[in-house]
Amino acid sequence: MSPSPVMPARSTGRRVASLVAAGLGAALVLTGCSGAEPEKAQPAEWELTAQTDAPSGDLDSFTWANYAEPYSLDYAYAFDYADNMVLANVCESLMRLNPDWTLSPGLAESFAHPTPETWVYEIRSGVTFHDGTPLTAADVVASMSRHLDPAVGSSWYSNYQNVASIEQTGDMQVTVTMTGPDSQFNLGMGGSAGVIESAATLAEKGADYGNSTGGVNCTGPFSFGEWQSGESITLERYDGYWDPELTARSAEVKFIFMNDANARTNALKSGEVDGGWMIPADAVPQLLDSDQGDMLFGLNTAVNNLIISDLEGPLGDVRVRQALLMALDRQGIVDAAVKGYGNTTDVLTTESVWDGASDAAIASAFGDIEEYPYDLEAAKKLVEEAGVAGEELTYVTAPISSDFNVYAQATAAAAEAIGLKVNIETVTPNAYTALFSDPTAREGVDLFYTSWYLSSPDPLEMYSVLRTGEFSNYGEWSNPEFDAVVNEALTIEDPAARSEKTAEAQQIANEELPWLPMFEAPVTLFMGERITGVAPSIAFLYYPWAATIGAR
Amino acid sequence: MTTLRRVAGKLGALLLTLFLASLLVFFSRFLVPGDPVSFLLRGRKPSPEAVAQVTAQYGLDLPPWQQYLNWLTGVLQGDFGRSLQYRQDVSQVIGDRLPVTLGLVVMAGTMIAVVGLTAGIVASLNRGKVLDRAVLIGLTVLGAIPSFVGSIVLIAIFAVQLGWFPSFGSGEGFFDTIYHLVLPSIALAIVFVVLVGKVTRSSMVEQLGREHVEVATSRGLKRGTVIRRHVFRNSIGPILTVSGVLVAGLLVASSIVEAAFGLAGIGSLLVASVDRLDFPVVQAIVLLIVTAFVVVNAIIDVLEPWIDPRAAAGAGAR
Repeated sequence: MSPSPVMPARSTGRRVASLVAAGLGAALVLTGCSGAEPEKAQPAEWELTAQTDAPSGDLDSFTWANYAEPYSLDYAYAFDYADNMVLANVCESLMRLNPDWTLSPGLAESFAHPTPETWVYEIRSGVTFHDGTPLTAADVVASMSRHLDPAVGSSWYSNYQNVASIEQTGDMQVTVTMTGPDSQFNLGMGGSAGVIESAATLAEKGADYGNSTGGVNCTGPFSFGEWQSGESITLERYDGYWDPELTARSAEVKFIFMNDANARTNALKSGEVDGGWMIPADAVPQLLDSDQGDMLFGLNTAVNNLIISDLEGPLGDVRVRQALLMALDRQGIVDAAVKGYGNTTDVLTTESVWDGASDAAIASAFGDIEEYPYDLEAAKKLVEEAGVAGEELTYVTAPISSDFNVYAQATAAAAEAIGLKVNIETVTPNAYTALFSDPTAREGVDLFYTSWYLSSPDPLEMYSVLRTGEFSNYGEWSNPEFDAVVNEALTIEDPAARSEKTAEAQQIANEELPWLPMFEAPVTLFMGERITGVAPSIAFLYYPWAATIGAR
Repeated sequence: MTTLRRVAGKLGALLLTLFLASLLVFFSRFLVPGDPVSFLLRGRKPSPEAVAQVTAQYGLDLPPWQQYLNWLTGVLQGDFGRSLQYRQDVSQVIGDRLPVTLGLVVMAGTMIAVVGLTAGIVASLNRGKVLDRAVLIGLTVLGAIPSFVGSIVLIAIFAVQLGWFPSFGSGEGFFDTIYHLVLPSIALAIVFVVLVGKVTRSSMVEQLGREHVEVATSRGLKRGTVIRRHVFRNSIGPILTVSGVLVAGLLVASSIVEAAFGLAGIGSLLVASVDRLDFPVVQAIVLLIVTAFVVVNAIIDVLEPWIDPRAAAGAGAR
């Protein structure tokens, strides 16, 4: 593979820049930023990289900095960056989510969709698990059925919530029957929800499956080697891997858990560690100057938002939500929080997840929308009209990374500038996490920050979450028109037709602002001078990215 | 009082202390806000049956006293339950990390003993002189350096600048582990060296001024012999008492050093587990630290009379 094309990501005025990434044969799109003030001094210059140079040869081993230890390598619980970035190299799913965020066949050689309620998967033959046993349809049934078992308590249950049955219907065929049309089920099979494990291993390991002693036995390019609790996980190349395209170039990869951001930056700068995803914002400029390797930016699906978690309070009035968004100096936040490596946005999805969308859908979803430029006077007026001046908001934050403070302070300053009082409450990271799962933790809370990424190539994943009564609809926002649009879109199989409905949902959310979109930022990656071959993309959560890394 | 009866009495007190500690350790978790199950969910959408099943799996649906009884029964059999975050037996989770912390505590303890005793003895023998002042000032300066600052400075100088030592990880194999633990041990030892140094000095100074020392000196015994037999041996009581406190202090302080050096010990595990509401792990570690503290102090109590015969005769002799 030759050096891949990269695209300019910063421009003035809203436009859609798209470019074919030759190495992948797929289009990556990214929206230019709209809110940048022309006189802004020296905006951060950056480009997205789709693919780095191909390796010149194989490696014996390389090391990777992981910001946290995985909780588990059990795919049913792999729900966060730390777990999935390791698991993606060991375990494979029915479908494969590629670095350009498209889906292609994985352990399912092909799939059919004979009725709106059924998905039929033809399982690939000639695939073996790391213990040498062949992949069978029974393994697929056992692996998928775990998500339905309440005793397992799978994190991916929501992907399976409409599943009526999972059955073996042929030698190498598995049929999933849904309770109703659900266009999202198959799209989710490229993520951890679609991972296939050996049925024998699941039965043998039981409760210890996926933990540091139990390990996993999957079909990926690397096999589980050793898990040194609290320190590292070592993976080993699997010589019986089925796909020659993704056979591992390194005999071994060692993930080192480095919770401390400074320690991680030091290790990358000094060359002690070969690479890492998700570089702390403070370290990005330092690593750009480093001669130990390359600081890279890749495709992301995440949008940084303020979640409105109380619509009974002052923020229940849409004018106040609009006013708050207009009072936020979002470009300033991008500059302070991610050192300028991001773009402001007015919607809750990135263009990267609109795979298969029609041009018309893209145009209405990203072009024909309300923009909320920084305008204090207009914002003040809206707050006065709403009659909530002087009322108090509670913003909850936690000392998770340095940028959290930026979001909190900027939001407080914005709200105060338009006549609202803000009470910033700082809680422990754990209490902060509870905001996302425990309604009692959200009592009396008006706002909190999140970076929300999507795990499937469809923006509907975002909007289905905001329907009335959904678990993650934290503010209990309810809009019957929006619900109807999303519910209809969920039943549409054709991606282009579906995308046009989704665009309508995006327009409603853009007007109503159940969450306040702030900005989108690329995935960050540092690759040391010893290695090359990685595709910088948030697909590192599900795609065997470490297999492509070899000697520079 | 016979030695046997004294030891039996100590043992009874020790068991009572441990029992009370177990009550405190277990029930304090009900005072902490937050639901362990909501941690297990970590923001994901569960099925309602799954919430019920997971709650039952971890025994969280039982009344607190029954949870305590189950826990205590398990602990007495060496079963500390299952970690919520690692989905693994707590004994396994802690067992994996204990060697690192023990290595760290043993190395730091040795440094503290050697440096602290030497500094204290040298200072006391040169009381009022320049060397005494220098040692005292040196100790005071060291004592003002918190472990986390010490860690940062040590990493900056010896790991990043000079590259003599690794900046993270606990290494593999015996010698590599010792090599990896050098900087963390120093960072951990710094604060405690001051304590041992100062106690040694004042205890020695007190003994040096005693009548029997003057008598021994006037009898013409060599100064070295006097210091060894009369001064140091009699000074050891307070030093031992302080050392007992040190053990718990080292175990607790190790959390800061472990975090700074990326060591997978029980100190950093404790901090992470508290934050993640992983109660079974927190309870086991706290119980472990309390037990270590109580047992070490009991051993010191029992040993003291053999080292310092006057202690057996009662506190009055001091």
